[in-house]
Amino acid sequence: MLARIGLEPGDEEFYADQLSGILSHIDRLQQLDTEDIPPTAQVVEVASRLRDDEPRPCLSQEDALANAPASVNGFFRVPAIQEEA
Amino acid sequence: MTSDDLTRLTITDASRLLRLGSISSADLVTAHVERIERLDKHVNAFLRFTPELWEKQAEEADRRIRQGDAPALAGIPLAIKDVLCVRGVETTAGSQILRGFKPPYTGTAVARLFEAGAVMLGVTNCDEFAMGSSTENSGYFPTRNPWDLERVPGGSSGGSAAAVASGEAIIALGTDTGGSIRQPAALCGVVGMKPTYGRVSRYGLIAFASSLDQIGPFARSVDDVAIVLSLMSGLDPLDATSSDRPGMEVLNNFGAGVKGMRLGVPREYYDVKGIEPGVKAAIDAALFILRQAGAEIVDVSLPHTDYGLAAYYIIAPAECSSNLARFDGVRYGLSEVDAPNITEEYQRTRRKGFGTEVRRRVMLGTYALSSGYYDAYYLKAQKVRPLIKRDFDQAFQKCDAIVSATSPTVAFPIGAKTQDPLSMYLCDVLTLGGNLAGLPGISVPCGTSDGLPVGLQVLGPQWGENVVLRVARAYEQASEMKAEVAAPSPLRGEG
Repeated sequence: MLARIGLEPGDEEFYADQLSGILSHIDRLQQLDTEDIPPTAQVVEVASRLRDDEPRPCLSQEDALANAPASVNGFFRVPAIQEEA
Repeated sequence: MTSDDLTRLTITDASRLLRLGSISSADLVTAHVERIERLDKHVNAFLRFTPELWEKQAEEADRRIRQGDAPALAGIPLAIKDVLCVRGVETTAGSQILRGFKPPYTGTAVARLFEAGAVMLGVTNCDEFAMGSSTENSGYFPTRNPWDLERVPGGSSGGSAAAVASGEAIIALGTDTGGSIRQPAALCGVVGMKPTYGRVSRYGLIAFASSLDQIGPFARSVDDVAIVLSLMSGLDPLDATSSDRPGMEVLNNFGAGVKGMRLGVPREYYDVKGIEPGVKAAIDAALFILRQAGAEIVDVSLPHTDYGLAAYYIIAPAECSSNLARFDGVRYGLSEVDAPNITEEYQRTRRKGFGTEVRRRVMLGTYALSSGYYDAYYLKAQKVRPLIKRDFDQAFQKCDAIVSATSPTVAFPIGAKTQDPLSMYLCDVLTLGGNLAGLPGISVPCGTSDGLPVGLQVLGPQWGENVVLRVARAYEQASEMKAEVAAPSPLRGEG
């Protein structure tokens, strides 16, 4: 549900089998003692850089919308996201 | 010189002929296009071609050459993996969900090669969103290995590797998240390099796993790979993780040979489960040659190797599930826009647009990040990642570079691993450690097993591209093992 990939009834068993196999391989991680190790998302030290806060050109509205499946008046068009009150 | 001779050249050779005026860039492009027309219906390396670009770029290259101010890659035919954005050129990440997408900008690595004069021939096939090790997960068609058309070229950058191996391009770009440049380079008998994380800007790369992805080159010689890498490296304000180290430093001292260098052979890699005897024999022969060239071969250990694959298959799917959330049918690509509500629109679009492997990884990643399982999976994997890095740090105390097979096997038959995802994941067991630790790595051809290419992998410490290239070049010279242009079997004799 979270992934929003639109599973259909037949899919569930197919993926469940394969994912169980993969997860059982992954379970070996639990053998390692990682109590004192900080979680690490980035292994290369690259200093954070900030750019000067100056306005600069960006994509034009035309370019940004060029690939849109549906647009209206310069906006992306989507189905209604709220029901009428 | 026949047209086919022109498709066997390296950058160095082609540049000399271009500057001497013996050939023009237009001749070079024509020779490659003719070869593509003859071979690519069998190999299927390319998804689409860019004739408007190659005409314009070849003309410009010829003009610059005539003026005497030709840049380093003037006139060199280049193929680009379908995950790198090129303004106005359909770019789909091998996926139906991006069918028709024409990027409004060109990514930095590609733009730098264009500035250096390269001529784009077309877009190469890959596993969907670069997820796979065989190019069979492409949303379009599988690519075939030019050495044996019944076998896979490796992946995910299989189209780029096959294009360079079959003489359809002199150089190509790929991306490597767990081995996706090095493994197909090995299986296709060409040179392929993954740089240190941060060496090459990822701006304009359609993201798979952002903390692991790197762009890198394929070519038929170590020198060519070094030239291309040096030209696309360096700081880019558009990628906050790109390093300000100068790109040219990758060339420092890289021709110095291996005399006196210490090369580590990790025992966990040397005897990795499932390594084929023919692959091992080729690696033994390569170690012998390196020793004869003056290197000292030392035993090292990467004790957490067994946990690398498990950590990788949490981290990469977790990052992918987050990155791929943007494909919702609203801003680009495929859309089921007539759905009754927005949730249904997302679901229908993603159901129709994503293939089996992408769905599998999105599910795995979403699961690993979900609140009840986050600690057991994602957090755990993030704590294992520094252990993998520490293994390499300790090994590099004892050696200058690490050598091993790139892939435990040679190219396998099409369909052999598609039913068992874990067996496919194991293709990357010798390469993904380099991604988890952010290291530079290369694969160079080191002979054959049963007539199929074997690759030698060289890994170096972070920012040690010059060390990696130095070992690879010394091996290439000492072994005289040049990457060959393969002629697909039904075409032997006419190839």
